Amino acid sequence: MSAPAAILSGGRPRRRAELGLLFVGATAVLVATLLESLARTNALPSHIVEFIAGLVGISVIVQLVNRRLVPEADPILMPVALVLNGIGYVEIERIAPNEAGQQLAWTLLGLGVYTALLLIVRRSRDLERYRYLMLFAAFLLLISPLMPVIDRSPANQYGEKLWVAFHGIEFQPVEIAKLLVVLFFASYLIEKRELLTIPTRRVGNHLLPDLRAFGPIVIAAAVSMLVILAEHDIGFSLILFVVFLTMVWVTTGRWTYLLIGAILFALATFAASHLLSQVNERIAVWLDPWKYAQTGGYQPIQGEMAFGRGGVFGSGIGLGLGGAVDPSTGTTLIPVATSDYIFAVIGEELGFVGAAAVAISFLLLVVSGLRAALRARSPFATLAAIGLTATLGFQAFFIMAGVLRILPLTGVTMPFVSYGGSSLIANYALLALLMRISNEANQLPSSGATPAISRTSGAARIGATSRWRSASATASDGRQAKVQRPGGPEQTSSAR
Amino acid sequence: MNRRIRILAVVLLGCFVLLVAQLANLQVRQASALQHSPYNHHVSTNTFAGDRGEILSADGYVLAKSVPSSNGYPYQRVYPQGSLFADITGYVDVVDANISTGLEAYYGNPFASSAHSQYLLVHQYPSHGLRGLLNQRSGTDSITITVSRKLQLVAKNALGSYDGALVAWDPRNGNILAMYSNPTYNPNKLASHDAKEVASYYKSLNPASGSSPLVNGVTGIVQFPGSTFKIVTSSAIFDHDPSLASKTWPVVPYIKLPNTTQLLHNYASELCGGTLAQAFAQSCDTSFGAIGLALGPSRLIRQANQYGFNEVPPIDLPSSEVAKSTIPPASKFSAADPFLAYTAIGQYDIVESPLFDAMIAGTVANGGKMMAPHLLSHVVNDQGQVVATYKPHVWKTPTSSSTAASVLQLMRGVTQGNGTAAGVFSNISVPVAAKTGTAQVGANGCSDNWLVATAPAGQGETPTVAVAGYVPYQPGLTCSDTGAAVAGPRVAQLLAAALSYQAGS
Repeated sequence: MSAPAAILSGGRPRRRAELGLLFVGATAVLVATLLESLARTNALPSHIVEFIAGLVGISVIVQLVNRRLVPEADPILMPVALVLNGIGYVEIERIAPNEAGQQLAWTLLGLGVYTALLLIVRRSRDLERYRYLMLFAAFLLLISPLMPVIDRSPANQYGEKLWVAFHGIEFQPVEIAKLLVVLFFASYLIEKRELLTIPTRRVGNHLLPDLRAFGPIVIAAAVSMLVILAEHDIGFSLILFVVFLTMVWVTTGRWTYLLIGAILFALATFAASHLLSQVNERIAVWLDPWKYAQTGGYQPIQGEMAFGRGGVFGSGIGLGLGGAVDPSTGTTLIPVATSDYIFAVIGEELGFVGAAAVAISFLLLVVSGLRAALRARSPFATLAAIGLTATLGFQAFFIMAGVLRILPLTGVTMPFVSYGGSSLIANYALLALLMRISNEANQLPSSGATPAISRTSGAARIGATSRWRSASATASDGRQAKVQRPGGPEQTSSAR
Repeated sequence: MNRRIRILAVVLLGCFVLLVAQLANLQVRQASALQHSPYNHHVSTNTFAGDRGEILSADGYVLAKSVPSSNGYPYQRVYPQGSLFADITGYVDVVDANISTGLEAYYGNPFASSAHSQYLLVHQYPSHGLRGLLNQRSGTDSITITVSRKLQLVAKNALGSYDGALVAWDPRNGNILAMYSNPTYNPNKLASHDAKEVASYYKSLNPASGSSPLVNGVTGIVQFPGSTFKIVTSSAIFDHDPSLASKTWPVVPYIKLPNTTQLLHNYASELCGGTLAQAFAQSCDTSFGAIGLALGPSRLIRQANQYGFNEVPPIDLPSSEVAKSTIPPASKFSAADPFLAYTAIGQYDIVESPLFDAMIAGTVANGGKMMAPHLLSHVVNDQGQVVATYKPHVWKTPTSSSTAASVLQLMRGVTQGNGTAAGVFSNISVPVAAKTGTAQVGANGCSDNWLVATAPAGQGETPTVAVAGYVPYQPGLTCSDTGAAVAGPRVAQLLAAALSYQAGS
């Protein structure tokens, strides 16, 4: 059967649901841009035809790609991400029109990377194979902003050294690196998890696992974090640290690791606040912004004011002060409104209702990601899904909590919403991996029952049956307990 | 592992619940506090800096308008006439003090609930039927005022570089025709979006001083009215003791006052007196001092209060910009109080604003009825339809029409024969009724110069304009100048222009 016919007739329930959600999402973004334009200019946007064409085009392409490459994957992830991306775009287009073209280009590139990753990574197991290569790549990416051969980007003006520039295009390598590091953690932790879990030593009354197994991973984590700290970015160090702890704890189930991690974190924070002026200032400003109202406190105060102005229903999209400049000081009223503080812009314009909806959208992504983890067919896939989901969820939480002053502000981007190419590409890549894992998880064990589907899915099926053999071959040290029977509903019982 | 995934899900759920809780805290619980926080210095952007309606002069010139702005505030308020109408329009300051003044405040105040305070602001227009329901319309009204640019320019040029105030109104309906005072200011500089520029300009205007250029010199500054108060004293004669009207007053340079060794001198110790008409025309302080003593405190003060002393005139400007003209209560005077003589000639403890002086003259001109003075003519909505027109109304009836006619007759004498303002109105063909005021003030006793005039004031004519002029002593003037010499020509210019403006030329 030809591929187009398969797509038309296929109509897997999850893809049909996704198509409906894509339609709802595109409508929401269209309404947002219409209201924004009507509010500000009393006219329809000049590029309304192109805008609608773009929405339809993106929705159709995403749907076709998913039908073909991940027909059984979660139906919620992509529509929700695209709505967040679309709302962010509508705001960016108004606040910083000169950034809109790039944001669109990055979105399309992000979707390209999403498609490419789904094409390249046909089985989640493929990722396990190259873990040290990925670690090496992550390391290169991490140190790239420090290397003198690469352009220092003017974007590093706030004290961070996070950006690289190439022919004027700026990029934050850490966004990509974090994904590679997470995949490395997942792969390594799964291989060593018995060593990490089963006590082999006795210290007094306590049984402890062999901590030597932790050597490489602690080194990897420490190096990543040191490099990021050298680049003066606490946001990504914090995310990597929290994600790392989460993954270790989920793998081993030992609270001791969380305790050790918390102590290390406290020490690190204490040291950082004394060594890094930026960290110290951010904590001081977080505790009492009013004391620094004219300096470092200006941003959080104005962020809070923006939420206050919004009230329950908001000022209306397009009618907030995002992008407005105080003419006497030349500073924007809402600071970094297209990036760190875009949540404050949304809070002002869409009110409590809209901002809560955005927060809940991220929760939907997190729930979908964890559901994929629960159902995943291999321990590696489970742990990778957890790591990826935690990365996305904690990053969204940290930036929103920072803007809302629940936590000190960590200058990370708001996934899918903020302006920024590296962030968009990395997060669409992250979704591609989650979709891949979710697709595997949802494929019935007897997925041979769908022989009508083209070669693609047939290959996936063969992969699904053959991977256990391959997994057992990998575990050649004889720890057969790790190997699961194909199709078993739970693959992780041995760890318990 | 699944159990731990579920725990992780709960932890992340908790994180997002925390976010929503803090959103609710900021956007629901604290929203009002944050909106009124001094740190939220863009409260003003929501309230004052939106689109505002135009203010137009009676002859169609734009006095204030809003143009789209791209510097963070959606609109920039512009005053194309510069300082010419500053006293009237006021200004909107969106960046420094977040205030508005003048008509901008009276007809465009987001914090007031009255209908008129919303005219200049964006507001919802009532809509009718299904069509209206589907097509909700909002916009701003524009207001046209009774003051013309033409007369305002005459007033400005008449004052020239001197400090002082000129006001002309139509006593029949209360229309203010011109209202100008020096020193003044440029409202554009206070409506600027550059907070530093606004703050430094505002500071340079010496805002704490009562004589700051920011104060409307016509409505907001009160001074000794000098002999113009004799209009009120004369009204008291006809209303309360007509026998005094037929008395003849001795022609003397001074009189002795009771209970004091102080002598009350005529201006320059001239010999002055005669009939009431002669005493009024020549502004004999000796005669009016004696009249004041003869009337006694209760009659004189009651008459003054009937005219509206000790009350804020009901003009359509923020009440903070309109000063009370005051006179002490009757109880403050003893029966034969020497200060009563001074009060009767407008000295001692009595102050008036130029607006109020014009209102007194206008009341006499209008048969004893004092109209509420006003600036608003009519209101036009965004579709060009007149949605409101000012309806003239009487504020007070201080005196009877016969008294008014008698006092107007006295005032006519001032511009004739040997009256203090004789020859001042040679530029006007119709008879003019007037009263001069030359108040000796301050340690040096130099004169503040007043003149009120109304025309046409021939027998059987109804005056259509009343003008008050006030020019205080200042460098460039002579210490012993008079109301007729200094204020007179300026009032005459404005009066002549107002009469020809009303005649339609």
